[in-house]
Order: sequence, then structure tokens, then C-alpha cells
Amino acid sequence: MSKKIYEIVDKLPTGGLTVRALKTLDTVVPGQWNNLVGFDNTIKTVTGETDEAMVQAIGERAIALFNDKKQGYQSALWLYHTVDSASGLLGAAALANRIGQDTFLGFLKNLSPKPEKAQTIDLAVKLVTEVVAFCKISGIPGDSLGDFLAALGDYSSESLVRMAALVSFDGIIPLGADFSTKALNAIKGMGPGDLDNNQTFKGVKAEIPGGNDKAKLSFMTESFESTKGWMDHFVRDHNITQSGLVDNLGGFIEGSKSKLDYLGAFLDMSVKYYEHTGTQTLARRLIERAVAEI
Amino acid sequence: MTFTRWLRRLAPLMVCLVLLVTACSSAPSKYDQVQKDTTGFGSPAAVDKKAEKGGTFNAFFPGDQGGYKVIPYQEKKGFAEYKLEQDGKALAMLTISDTTSIPASAAKYSTATETVSGFPTVDQGTTATGVLVNDRYQVKVLSRDPSFTKADRVAWLQKFDLQGLAQLKGAINPVITPTVALPESPTTATPAAPARPKDGFKLPRVQLPRPSPSLQPAS
Repeated sequence: MSKKIYEIVDKLPTGGLTVRALKTLDTVVPGQWNNLVGFDNTIKTVTGETDEAMVQAIGERAIALFNDKKQGYQSALWLYHTVDSASGLLGAAALANRIGQDTFLGFLKNLSPKPEKAQTIDLAVKLVTEVVAFCKISGIPGDSLGDFLAALGDYSSESLVRMAALVSFDGIIPLGADFSTKALNAIKGMGPGDLDNNQTFKGVKAEIPGGNDKAKLSFMTESFESTKGWMDHFVRDHNITQSGLVDNLGGFIEGSKSKLDYLGAFLDMSVKYYEHTGTQTLARRLIERAVAEI
Repeated sequence: MTFTRWLRRLAPLMVCLVLLVTACSSAPSKYDQVQKDTTGFGSPAAVDKKAEKGGTFNAFFPGDQGGYKVIPYQEKKGFAEYKLEQDGKALAMLTISDTTSIPASAAKYSTATETVSGFPTVDQGTTATGVLVNDRYQVKVLSRDPSFTKADRVAWLQKFDLQGLAQLKGAINPVITPTVALPESPTTATPAAPARPKDGFKLPRVQLPRPSPSLQPAS
């Protein structure tokens, strides 16, 4: 049974850990993200149209475009969803049950921090997922890093907050302020064998450009190297620090300040920011195209 | 008695089952029909095989001018879109699409009473103004800021190279006959024939320079 894009967008949550964590990034990219949910609501907000017949026509064209597999929207959505679920395979449901019942520290005792190597691969895989998914949505060839970098400079709203979350939650919090240099050096020292056991890589490897794991790793390294400058500028321009991020998250994740490595693991398994904002980006682009084509 | 006792035990189970079944089935949606029509075996493609490559359209978009930036946004088969920005604020979207995939998109111009640069124009909803070139290519400007009015949309439509676009192939299956005089473009297009320019003789197809940066189609 095909996924219904209108239901997926209608069911995007308005609360919960993912939304709360993303909202803490408002201090990093102020006013960029307003958690746009609901299919018709997204159509009205993106296009400014309120006439119900127009909204219906735009929605129908958007659905037709999504359902045509050749258009690439389904595989982009799959990428955004899969990279999140693959990176946080530990039991998020168990976590939800524990929170509120005892202290957060009590829960953390049962959680292992992710090794730095795994965290580094996660970061690189998530970045390359953005490259591929964004290219699929926008129509840029998936291995065209130059065009992606040009588009990255123009990222806004949910796309920009996704990158802010990548840099913050998968970069600075688990790996520190020099995360980009540290991660790039680590990836450059890796071989295809290092990717074998990484769940995040295995989850999305079919869509990463390259005929084998060696070529895929090479593309990941190239993507990271090309984007490193943008990430470093982003951190500097927005004055993002580990302590600032943790202070913000500490507002709703009790006891997290002294357990940074555990906080990274916790965010990894419970905050599905790629899935959430990726769906929003996809819906926006579909609607932008639909309203222009009808 | 035994039967009644069993019934009493079964009743909560049945209630749970009913609740479970109703919870699993989603509420009907106004989009269910289109979902049904566009999925499954034999469902039609959203984009016609004969639609023009999106990359072809890049040459006909206006470039940066004054304080305005024209930024590549999407490029798919039969479609290209640029964002118009001023001081980092999105004012409008500029688009060209091939109506071969959606004949109704071209058909709405059959009742057009006005023209822009000689091509039939219509307003759609409250934020879009479009023209139809060669009975096939829909050029639209869509406001994304309240300050960007219909007059702005028309002004930016005129900045496209509409005459250049008119040199691409005409409608594969013409569905309309413009009801208005089109002083600068042919009133009807013959299938697969290049459009005639206003001076009446055939020009070779012109390869115009692509704006930079440009997007390439994914497939």
C-alpha cells in the first residue's frame, strides 16, 4: 500500500521531544522554523491561497507528483525517514515510558554512549543523506556537490533548521567544537570495512552514490570536505557553542549538562529531526511545484 | 447460563476488537480519490514522457537585476522554478512548466481576455498570474509576499524571454484556440512544428546561454 503524503503531513507532531529539541534551535536560527504541519495548512501557508477549490487542486497535483515514483520524492522521503530510524535503533518507546517515572539520570544509566567512531560515521552519513535527498527533491543530480553547495547557501525554514540540528545535535554536542575537523580526519582514515557495522550507513547505503562501499565512502568524504567550510562558517556566524546548546536542551532534559556523551546518544534515539523536517521540506517543494503546474 | 457467562466474557473482547479496527482505519479524506487514481498498477505518470526537459527552460528566465536576485530552486522534467529575492526576502516564484502533462492547465487560457507580450494571460487564485506560450508552455509568477502585487507579477512575466520560449516545439495535442488577438505570436500551433516568429519566416532553433548557476535534471 502506497504511503499517503497527505496523511504523513497531517500526522506530523506539534509537540514531543523532536519538536521541543528543534525549538531550542530558535536561538541559533531565530524565526526560521515554525513547525508547519497539516497538508492543507501547508498548502495555504506556502502559497498564500485560501480558496478551497485552489487548495484542493494544488493538493491533488502534489499527491499525483509524489505518487509518481520517477519523480524521486518517495525515495527522498524514504531517505529522510530511514536515516533517522537507522541511527537511533535503541528503544525510543522504552525511553518515553521511563521519562516522568523516575529521574532522567536513572534512565541514562541504562544507555551506552555511542563510540566516537560510530558518531562520526553517523554525522557523515546524515550529511550525505541531505545531499542526496535534497538533490532528488530539487532535481539536481545526486552527485552534483557544486549545485548542492550553491543551494545550501540559500537554505531557509525547515531545511536550515535541519542543518542547524545536524551541526548541533550530531556534531557539536557529541564531538565538541572542533567536530568538523575531527570528523573529517577520522573519515579520511577509514576504509570500507569501518562502515560495515554502522547501522546508519547500512540503512541508507543503497541510495548513496557509488558502485561499492569504497566509492560510497569516497563520496561521503568528498561531501563532508566540500561542506565543512559551510558548517564552520555556520557555527561561527551563529555563535553556536556546546554549552549554549546544552543549556537550552537542559530546559527539558533534566540532568543532561553533566552527561554530554549520554545526551548525544539520547538525542540520537529520541529526536527524529531528519524525518520531521525532511517531510516538511518535501511537502513544501511538492506544493511549490504543484501550484505552478496547475 | 453458561452461554450468558461466555457472552459476558466475550463482550469486552469484542468491544476492544471493534475499537482496534476503527482506530486502524483512517478517516476518509478529500484526497482519497486522487490517491486511488494515482497509485497501483496502470496508474498514469504525473509527468508525460514527451514533456520538455526542465533544463531547457533555464535559458528563458530573467537574470539578477537591480537589487533583485533570481535563484535556482527546482528543476524537474517539464518544470523549472526560480526564487525571486530582494534583500534576502522571497518576493515571488518564477516558473515555466510544460502543460503536456496537464492539458487542463493549458485549457484555462482559452477564455483569456488579456495578453502579456502578446500571449494569453490569466490570474489564478489570488497570488498567481500566468501566460501560455505556444499553447504549451505555462509561465507563471506567484507572489510570496503581500507587497508583490499583480502589477509586479505582470512586470516580471515580461522579463522572461517569452519569444525565445516560443521557438520551442508547440503543443503536442493542441487543446485550445486563443480567443484574443496575439500580435506577437502565432494564434495556433501545429503539432510538433516550431512556432513562427512574428515576421513570418522560419528561424533556426536558438541555443541561448544558460544562466549561472544552473541546475541539471536528475534523470
